[in-house]
Amino acid sequence: MIREFIKGLSITFKHMLPGNSTTVQYPRKGHRLPTAERFRGLHRLVPAQDREKCVACYLCPTVCPAKCITVESAENEKGEKYPAVYKIDLLRCIFCGYCVEACPVEAIEMTGDYELANYKREDFTFEKQRLIR
Amino acid sequence: MVNLTIDGKQITVSKTATIYEAAVEAGIKIPVLCYAKKLLPYGACRVCLVEVEQMKGRLIPSCTTPVTEGMVVTSISDEIRKVRKTVLEFLLVNHVIECPVCDKGGECDLQDLTYELGVNSNRFEGEKFNLPTDEVNPLIERNMNRCVLCGKCARVCDEIVGYGSYSFINRGFETKIATAFDRGLDCEFCGQCVSMCPVGAILPRPFKFKARPWQLREVDSVCGYCGNGCTVTFGVLNDKVETIRYNDKNGVNDGNLCVRGRFGYSFINSGDRLTKPLVKKGEQLVEVEWDEALKAVADGLKKAQAENGVGILSGARLTNEEFYLLKNLAKLIGTGNLDHSGGECYKGVTEGLLATLGICSSTGTFPQVEQADVVLSIRSDFYETHPVFGMVVNQTVKRNKAELFIVGDKNGKFGKLPGARTLLHKPGLEVNVLNSMSQVLIEDGLAVTEGVEGVDALKKSLAAYTPEKVEATTGVSAEEIRVAARALAGAKQSAILLAYGLPYTAQSKEIAIAAANLAILSGNIGKGESGLYLCGEKANSQGAIDCGVLPSAGGMGAQQMLEAAGQGKLSALYVVGEDPMTSFPDRSKVEKALMTADFVVVQDLFLSPTAELADVVLPAASFAEKNGTFTNAERRIQRVRPGVPSPGEAKTDYDILTLLAARLGEKVNFTGPAALFAALADEAGYTGIDYEKIGPQGIVWGGETVTVKKKMLVFVDGAKPIAGDFLLLTGSALYHSGTMSTRATGPQAVVSEAYVEFNFEDAKGLQIVDESVVSIKADGIELKLKAKVGKRLPKGVLFAPYHFSEARINSLYKGEAAISVQVSK
Repeated sequence: MIREFIKGLSITFKHMLPGNSTTVQYPRKGHRLPTAERFRGLHRLVPAQDREKCVACYLCPTVCPAKCITVESAENEKGEKYPAVYKIDLLRCIFCGYCVEACPVEAIEMTGDYELANYKREDFTFEKQRLIR
Repeated sequence: MVNLTIDGKQITVSKTATIYEAAVEAGIKIPVLCYAKKLLPYGACRVCLVEVEQMKGRLIPSCTTPVTEGMVVTSISDEIRKVRKTVLEFLLVNHVIECPVCDKGGECDLQDLTYELGVNSNRFEGEKFNLPTDEVNPLIERNMNRCVLCGKCARVCDEIVGYGSYSFINRGFETKIATAFDRGLDCEFCGQCVSMCPVGAILPRPFKFKARPWQLREVDSVCGYCGNGCTVTFGVLNDKVETIRYNDKNGVNDGNLCVRGRFGYSFINSGDRLTKPLVKKGEQLVEVEWDEALKAVADGLKKAQAENGVGILSGARLTNEEFYLLKNLAKLIGTGNLDHSGGECYKGVTEGLLATLGICSSTGTFPQVEQADVVLSIRSDFYETHPVFGMVVNQTVKRNKAELFIVGDKNGKFGKLPGARTLLHKPGLEVNVLNSMSQVLIEDGLAVTEGVEGVDALKKSLAAYTPEKVEATTGVSAEEIRVAARALAGAKQSAILLAYGLPYTAQSKEIAIAAANLAILSGNIGKGESGLYLCGEKANSQGAIDCGVLPSAGGMGAQQMLEAAGQGKLSALYVVGEDPMTSFPDRSKVEKALMTADFVVVQDLFLSPTAELADVVLPAASFAEKNGTFTNAERRIQRVRPGVPSPGEAKTDYDILTLLAARLGEKVNFTGPAALFAALADEAGYTGIDYEKIGPQGIVWGGETVTVKKKMLVFVDGAKPIAGDFLLLTGSALYHSGTMSTRATGPQAVVSEAYVEFNFEDAKGLQIVDESVVSIKADGIELKLKAKVGKRLPKGVLFAPYHFSEARINSLYKGEAAISVQVSK
């Protein structure tokens, strides 16, 4: 009986040895934890060669159930449609991923970035520049 | 009537209906791409194919096949779905799939059909087109890569607009819609093609990439430009009118609009709009609060009334309710000096018609004109002042083969219609020609004289107007006059069109009387649905007449007021919604009046040249911000609805007049336009019309055909030809209406500045080409204007539109029919 007892405790004590802990000292160590491939974190606007891939078709603000996306389209010097304004209000976003699903040109993705805390309300509004990565 | 069965449903329709129309009536949906209610059947797209029991073996296009008795139609089956799907696959072989960047996305017929029929893949392969897009012109963008060759644009331009910009060119796969020689578009820019295009091949450029259709809030209202009273539907996004949406369900215009209606909305959003009241302090107009401005106005008007009196000059773009408030305000101040735009012309025409017919409005409605077999248009600028009514005439002539006669001093668009005859006279001699036509009717014994007063007197007086004599003075051939007069008398149903407006003040009373005489004698008045059409220049000209914005007994009219003010006999002028400095004849007279009057109040949208001379300027609201009613040229009362809020602190004329009246001691306060409408109804002749019941089609007061109060022939003498090598005419240009359109980017993009038009022969003689600057001199005043050379004008006649303030056309134009000028390069 004692043998089984030791065997069991050895597993417990093994975890106490350095390098065997599953606890991560977040945020002091290991700033970014790995996320699942399908995790829905902060959005990303996909860049193309000299502009964003987004063509400002307005499908994402239309499909968005939280109404957190603002798009204003305009014409660039080449006569193409582009988003002059692209804003996501993360305080309203529910991270459902419908915008990604609706996008006809695969211009928006959701990254694994989950560290979205901020000190000011304004900082939760992500403008185009912060979204293109 | 014909009985048929569609999808097991028994229906009875008229024998001229097609299967598609029968299905629509029965509430059965058949998809279409190339069909439009207002165009002739065409059958280009083959999407509307149906099965007919009696024509087994092939599918039948429902939009071109007339119904027959006992027909049994199946509108949908597996086979039909399969064929429709194949048709779409064919269309999608070369249709570029750029829905994300195409502005039509969301209201595209092709997109909807593709989705509905589930065309997810294409069995056929072909090259996508890569044709250059037409982005040269500022209003209409054409991308032929998206075209599905339904031909609607070409058909509407030909059948309704009568311009014919487009046609199909090339063959087979290469077929495309193009302009003559495949150049950029250079046309009337009415945008009818834009409204018809089922896909994104023709789009409004000012709206490019602005919004998606589903984001827009639609507000039904009435166009604020001319007296045609076309219904418009604002597309509003974020409290801004972004576009005018196509809507053929409201009003009488079938969704037809002109360049002003479709593209002239941008002045509403203009950054130049007045947003705060201004009061003159020292030499400067300074922004103040409403309280201070209203106090200044109330005190100023009271003081002025105690001195030499107040004159009120109104524009004709206020709502009926506002006119009523304005009239009340005049009573409150205690002045009878009240008049609307121009005075002379409006007053002249109304006086003329009152003297002869006892009414001052059109006697029929626009749809009746479509059935006419003879149309007489007086003044050649009719299409320019009322383009959408002009489109009705186009259809009457082109579809119903009506005979069209134009009494005009220049060749116009109407003259190009098939079979149209222009009785081209020397400037200012309309009355002579009309008199001569009346003379022919009496002479030939064709005249209707039953129940008509003054026949003998007129007969005697008209002896001097035999066609031969008139030919000598006016230059219109005697034969033409005879033909026109006889056609008018022989017509089963005729229409006489008479437009009036600020640049046409000369002889307006005489022309109205001569036209009424002719209408009576030719049997136009009182014969079935024939009618005399009196078409005011501004959106609510008819309303102004109905509401009685006219001098009361002993009061002064517009011109008299200006004269009195100029001589210091009138202490204050209150100008509402008008820019007399630009639009009234005789600029120096207006300027003197505004300078001499002690106190001038201007209530307008912009700091117009008139407002610059004012002591107090009150910022007013545009038609898109108002709630109320307009009465159009056919007496149709239609609802104007606010689509957007006024910018800054600007207020509607309704609010301003109410506040001002309260300051002047008015005790009655109306709860809103509906209450006001009820109050004015009896006075304006709108008895029995309920404001709340004014539906999408409006309500025509007096019924479809108005019975005239009397038929009194009055003789008016014609004019003498005006001497001079070059005669300058002023008038309306197609792209503009009044002075407001010069603040709108759409019309400005096409015609941005004043010009003077020359006949090409004159131009050659003077060595003038397009764009060269010429000097026009008369009475010691010299104007420098850009030249435009064309074939429209007869030799020796020049034309300059009156809309542009900086051109100062009205410093030459003092209300005469034509001005004798010297031209030099």
